[in-house]
Amino acid sequence: MRILTVAVREIKLGFRNFWTYSFLILLTIFTIAILLLHSSVATVQGYTDMTGTVINITLYLLPLITLLLGSFSVAVEKEDGQWRLLSTYPITVYAFLWGKWLGLTTIIMTMIFFSFGFAGLIMVIFGQAISIQTFIFFWLFSTILAIVYLSIALLIGSVVKDRWQSLIGGITVWFITIVIWPLLMISILGNLPSYKLIQPTLQGLTLLNPAEFVRIFSIMRLGAGTTFGAEYDQWITWATSHYGLLIFFGLLISLILISIFVGGLIWNWSDKHGAK
Amino acid sequence: MEQNNVAVKISQLSKTIKHKQLLKPLNYQLSKSKILALCGGNGAGKSTLIRLIIGLTKATTGSVTVNGLSKRKNKEQFLKQIGYMPDNFHFQKSMTTKETIKFYARIKKVSEASYKEVLKTVGLFDRMNEKVGNFSKGMTQRLLLAQALLSEPSLLVLDEPTNGLDPYWIKQFCKLLIKAKENQQTVIFSTHDLHVAEKIADEVIFLHDGKVMSKGPINNYQKDGLYETFQQIYFDSLHNEEQTNVTLVSSTHLS
Repeated sequence: MRILTVAVREIKLGFRNFWTYSFLILLTIFTIAILLLHSSVATVQGYTDMTGTVINITLYLLPLITLLLGSFSVAVEKEDGQWRLLSTYPITVYAFLWGKWLGLTTIIMTMIFFSFGFAGLIMVIFGQAISIQTFIFFWLFSTILAIVYLSIALLIGSVVKDRWQSLIGGITVWFITIVIWPLLMISILGNLPSYKLIQPTLQGLTLLNPAEFVRIFSIMRLGAGTTFGAEYDQWITWATSHYGLLIFFGLLISLILISIFVGGLIWNWSDKHGAK
Repeated sequence: MEQNNVAVKISQLSKTIKHKQLLKPLNYQLSKSKILALCGGNGAGKSTLIRLIIGLTKATTGSVTVNGLSKRKNKEQFLKQIGYMPDNFHFQKSMTTKETIKFYARIKKVSEASYKEVLKTVGLFDRMNEKVGNFSKGMTQRLLLAQALLSEPSLLVLDEPTNGLDPYWIKQFCKLLIKAKENQQTVIFSTHDLHVAEKIADEVIFLHDGKVMSKGPINNYQKDGLYETFQQIYFDSLHNEEQTNVTLVSSTHLS
């Protein structure tokens, strides 16, 4: 009940926030651009090089928007004293965080739905061909990616004290998981003492980074695992296995649960031991 | 004092941050249905004491119980007894009065009729659909007071409640607290306004630099008056500090 109360408030606040609309415009322009880009090779079904490019571009923008919206939403509550007052109410940090998650998920899913819907409409009006499967694939990929990054954003918001810290936290996570991740992987794998360690380390690293496991799962499910290289395709077998979908959703839910759990744990700890 | 008549029991309560003592050890007992005013200058430790009482700040030493319950042992029951009005608070500007109070009411599981009644009490019922962002300081204070009054808690803890209120609403506020007292509610509030304290408080604590300079029933101050007592405490302390500083500067020069 209290979770729903927080979620409803979050939805109201979100849709009255200037930044939501700024991000929505940006996301819509971006979605139109990537779908137009992809429609240039629309006659080919399934994975193409263009699909990979579009996925990579999506990976750059969407996590950043989600991280900033999510972590700011929590940081503001702390900075403006909202949480200080709420902590004298019979509500737990977890109920508050789940309420935030639910509300923000609704906002972000609406943003993605609107931007894809609008982009789809534009494509139909201007006669640009894109297969419905590809369209749904990009939509699902974006939605899942946003939901995962939202839980990380709430973890960041739980740790930080103000907007500036949340901005730094959000950009740091985005930079590590999106921008320098390939370099990090190469340098870690290149410095392993034994060749035998490469496969488990690679698998472990893939599961550690939400952007990576969503990307790899999506591309492999499209039957294009070879684009990562023959060996990689042989090693990362979980995605195409019989239980691939189950593992993927298991990972997804685990990541959301762990982020909220750790966030709540840190928040509770800092409430108890904080100086003020 | 009879133990079951004690609303708030403060035992050896103190707060130190980075070797600075924000509140020196304090013992105090406040009976049920009494109004306690916390008086003192800026940085005296009023807000620190308030936060310690409701458990927003962890005490360095000591403990607080409200109607025999401590926050550490029984958090939910402890919090249900308290209505808190913070100082320096910003409501979500894009929300209306109704949306704001409804949010807090739902968390406290208070009915729609009750929160509307509270809005009438603080004079914001007619402004239910106005955005909180357009509110003056006084109106924000009244809305803050409204959320504290929800669910008729047995202890009201109000941090600088009269800040920004015009004379009419200060008078209404005084009436409201007296009514709360009549309804068996206990009130602790901090203020710079000694006239308000003198008018409605049953007991007073004077704080200066984290130290309790004087405390007791309001009757004790009737002879000299609160303002004179405060002046004496406050200016004497400042004078002593100046003297200390002068001595320190002189000794530095001499050495």
